[in-house]
Amino acid sequence: MNTVLSRANSLFAFSLSVMAALTFGCFITTAFKDRSIPVDIHVSKIMIKNVDDFTGPRERSDLGFVTFDISANLQPIFDWNVKELFLYLTAEYSTKSNALNQVVLWDKIVLRGDNTKLNLKDVKSKYFFFDDGNGLRANKNITLTLSWNVVPNAGILPLVMGSGHKSLAFPETYETSKSY
Amino acid sequence: MLSVFKSIPTHMDYKGQKLAEQIFQGIILVSAVIGFIYGLFIQQFGWTVYIMLAGFTVSCFLTLPPWPMYRKNPLKWQPAVPEASGENRDKPQENQKKKKHK
Repeated sequence: MNTVLSRANSLFAFSLSVMAALTFGCFITTAFKDRSIPVDIHVSKIMIKNVDDFTGPRERSDLGFVTFDISANLQPIFDWNVKELFLYLTAEYSTKSNALNQVVLWDKIVLRGDNTKLNLKDVKSKYFFFDDGNGLRANKNITLTLSWNVVPNAGILPLVMGSGHKSLAFPETYETSKSY
Repeated sequence: MLSVFKSIPTHMDYKGQKLAEQIFQGIILVSAVIGFIYGLFIQQFGWTVYIMLAGFTVSCFLTLPPWPMYRKNPLKWQPAVPEASGENRDKPQENQKKKKHK
């Protein structure tokens, strides 16, 4: 500690160690928090088509079109250890060939400081709702749930499912019109 | 250019070094506690980091330059032994002794 550089080294190393301890403290205060909130999902339009799926092994697959409304208040989830939320809407169903299918229809990134009241109406799905085969037609029980991935400042990244889901049924016949 | 910086005296005596270490450790710990509590209160971790950086800057200013308070206990060196003429005579005798041992 006789020279300026030696003192500066000692001071800087001590500050970094204290900073690491503070970050651990930040993690500990939010590690066991329940990050689930109630979510409201409505569906306004459901349609199904049977089209060529060039990415799959068979000739034609079922393609579903769902238009939905989502409303949720995300404010309780944001605390001092949350940097952003990655929201995604999942459709879950079972068919004759597969016991469980999960398809992500839509997602959104909500940064810290963005508007946390989610009130979206008449949203079309971002990603294609292709089935692995022809299992969507006349499928009685398709469950839509909103989940999110919490990205923290320090710690684990949990996947949380919102409480509240919407079940819908697909129609018996295919749409044959060209436009959506 | 480096020689200019090397010629500036930056030493502290031992008690001054101990005092400097205690000062900066105390300031950093106090600002860490204040920053943690304030950040937890307003739920923004950014403010915790800002308060820590402020504490770091204050302790840099207080402990890096060699202030006079760190030089209050200088080391007491022994007084220099003066060179007397008796020592000059000893040297040729030592040389003779070395030659004999060979």
